[in-house]
Amino acid sequence: MSLRAIVDDPNVYWSGLTRAEQGVSGFIAGFVVLLLGGLFTGILAPTYFLFLVGIAGMYSLLSLGLNVQWGYTGLINFSVAAFFGIGAYGTALASASSSPVAGNLAPVVGLFVALVLAAILALLIGIPTLRLRADYLAIASIGLAEVVRIVILNEDQLTNGSAGVRGIPTFFDGWPLLDTFPQTMPSVAVSRLPGGTVVLGQSFWSALLNVVVVVSFIAVSYFVLKRAHRSPWGRVLRTIRSDEDLARALGKNTYRYKMQAFVLGSLIMALAGVFYAHLNLFVSPGDLSPITTFYVWVAVMLGGSGSNRGALFGGFVIVAIREGTRFLNAFEFIPFDVAPLRLLLIGVIIVLLMRFRPEGVLPPQRELIWPSVVDDAPEQPDSGVRDSKAGESND
Amino acid sequence: MTDSQASQVANNDSSSEEQPANDERAANMDKENVVLRVEDLVKSFGALVATDHATFEVERGTITGLIGPNGAGKSTLFNLISGFYESDAGRVTVNGTDVTDMEPYEIADHGLIRTFQTPRKLEGMTVREAMLVGPREQPGESFTKLFTDPESVREREQRNLEDAQKILEDFEIDHLATQPATKISGGQLKLVELARAMLAEPEILLLDEPAAGVNPTLRKKLAEQIRRLNGQGTTFLLIEHDMEFVMSLADPVIVLDRGHVLMEGTPDEVQNDEGVIDAYLGG
Repeated sequence: MSLRAIVDDPNVYWSGLTRAEQGVSGFIAGFVVLLLGGLFTGILAPTYFLFLVGIAGMYSLLSLGLNVQWGYTGLINFSVAAFFGIGAYGTALASASSSPVAGNLAPVVGLFVALVLAAILALLIGIPTLRLRADYLAIASIGLAEVVRIVILNEDQLTNGSAGVRGIPTFFDGWPLLDTFPQTMPSVAVSRLPGGTVVLGQSFWSALLNVVVVVSFIAVSYFVLKRAHRSPWGRVLRTIRSDEDLARALGKNTYRYKMQAFVLGSLIMALAGVFYAHLNLFVSPGDLSPITTFYVWVAVMLGGSGSNRGALFGGFVIVAIREGTRFLNAFEFIPFDVAPLRLLLIGVIIVLLMRFRPEGVLPPQRELIWPSVVDDAPEQPDSGVRDSKAGESND
Repeated sequence: MTDSQASQVANNDSSSEEQPANDERAANMDKENVVLRVEDLVKSFGALVATDHATFEVERGTITGLIGPNGAGKSTLFNLISGFYESDAGRVTVNGTDVTDMEPYEIADHGLIRTFQTPRKLEGMTVREAMLVGPREQPGESFTKLFTDPESVREREQRNLEDAQKILEDFEIDHLATQPATKISGGQLKLVELARAMLAEPEILLLDEPAAGVNPTLRKKLAEQIRRLNGQGTTFLLIEHDMEFVMSLADPVIVLDRGHVLMEGTPDEVQNDEGVIDAYLGG
C-alpha cells in the first residue's frame, strides 16, 4: 500500500486493488480534476476551497471516531454531536478572550481540556450503560446529546449560553513562527486560465494553516487506529461486535474493552470539535445540533462500517454533497433550486446504499493480523469477507 | 454473595437431607482429583426451578457426559457454571477456587472455558483470524502495549498464529485457514470452535452439544479430536443429545432431570437404569 509500490509498478498495483477500490480511486481522481478545474476557472475561490477541505477533514475525524465505536465494537452512539460540542467548548472556554471561566490560555492547553472533558463525559455515560445490552447505550446517548446541548445553552455563567463563545484564537496562537505565518507570508498572485489573477493573501495562508491542523489530527488518529485495528485488541472489539458472549466465554473482559473503544472514539470526535473551534473562532450551542450526528452516521455507513479508509472517504463525500449542491445552481438548465434538496439527496443515497451495497463502499476486506506476522495475505473476492448488512444490529 | 443468599444456602444445606435428589444413586462426590465441583446449585426463573440443588464433581482427565431430557436444565447449568447466569444459591469451585457468581472472564482465567450450542459466526474475519481470538492474556490485547511494546505484541502474535495453524492441521481443517469465517459449514464451524477454545489452554472445557448439526463423518472426526485432546490432558464436560456419540465418548455420564442430578454412572449403568428411562419417557 506504500507509495513506493505504486511508483514501482502502477499496473500491478492497480490490478491488485478490488473493484470497489478501483472505483473509488477513479472517483477521487475525477473529483480532484473537477476541483482543479473549479479552482483554475475561478468558480471556486482558493480560500473557500481550503475551508471546505478543513470541514471535510473535520467530518472525517468524526467518522473515524464513530467507526471505532460502531464499526469496530458495535456500540451505537447517537451523541456524536455532544462529543464534538464538548471538544469545541472545551478548547473555546480555555482559550477564548470572552470565556467566562478561564480564557486566554494557549490553544494546546485547550486541546487537553477538551480531551479530558470528552473522556470524562464518555466515562459518565459508559459506566451505567456499557454493562447492559447494546440498545441501552443507544437510548442513553440520544438523551445525552440533548442534555449536553441544553446544559451548554442554559449555563450562562459557565458557557455564555446562547450568545456563544467569541474571541477564540487560531490553533497556532502563541507558537513561534506559525503564529504570524499568515501575516509574514507574501501575497502571491496566480493567473487563472480564462484570464485575470487571484491573489493569495493572508486569509489564504491562515486557511492553509487550518488544513495543516486538521490533517495532522487525522494523521495521528489514523496512525493510532490503523495499528489498533490490526492488533489483538482490535480483534477482541470485532469479536464483541459479532458475538459478545463468545468474547466473554474466551476470557475477555468485554466491559473494559467496550469502555476503551467508547472513550477512544469520543476523544477523536472531540479532536474534531477542537479543530472546529479554532477554525470558526466562535462556538455556540447551535453547533451541537443533532443533524451532525446524523451526517456522521451516514458517512460511516457509506464508507463501510469497520473500515478506517471508508470513514475518511465517507466524511469527504458527505461534505461534497452538502457543499457541492450549492454549485449545482450554476447550471441553468436545472429548473429549480437544488441546494435545499441536499437532505433529500442524502436520503436517496442511503436508500440506494442499503439496497445495493449494504456493506458500504469500502468495507474492511483484508485480514487484520499484526503487520509483518503474515506475508501471505489471502486473495479476497470483491464481495469481501463480510456478508452481513452494515446497518444491521450486531446480533 | 449477599447475606440473604448465604442464609439461603445455609437453609438449603440443612434441608438437603430431605432432598430426594441427593439419594444414594446421585453423583459420586468422593472423586480424588476434582477440577470442577458443583454444590447445591439453584436457579429459578420466576416459578420455574431450572436448576434444583444440582450437585456433582468432574474428575481431572475424564470426559464427563451430561445428559438429560429436553428441559432438564443442562444449558442453564452450563450458564451458571461459566458465569453467564447468576445462581440463586449454591457453590461452583474450579480447581479449588470458589468461582460462584464471578464474571465469565474471571472464571475463564481459572481455566474453565465453554463453547456454545449454536456457534455464532465472526463476520469479517478469516478462520485463522477467528482462531486468534482464543489465546488468553495476549500482550496485544492491551491498548497501551500496542505503542509501548510492539515487539512483544508481534512475537506473541507470531507464536499464536503458528499455534493456530498447528491445531488447524491437527484437526485437518488447515485448508480453511484463510477462508472467510462466515463461509464454512456448520460442522466445520464446530471444529473451529473447539480448536479455538483449545488455544485458550483450558484445564476443563465445557462443550454444549458439540455434535448437534454435524454430519456423521465430521462427527466421528470431532469425537476423535475430543479423545485425542483428552489424552493430552484436557478435562471435558459435555452436554449431548446424541446418545451414540456421548456413550462412546464419555465416562462417567451424569444424568440430569428437572434440574437435579438423577444419577451418575458408566454408560452401561446409565443406559440400563430404569429411573433414567422413566425420565426420558416422561414417566
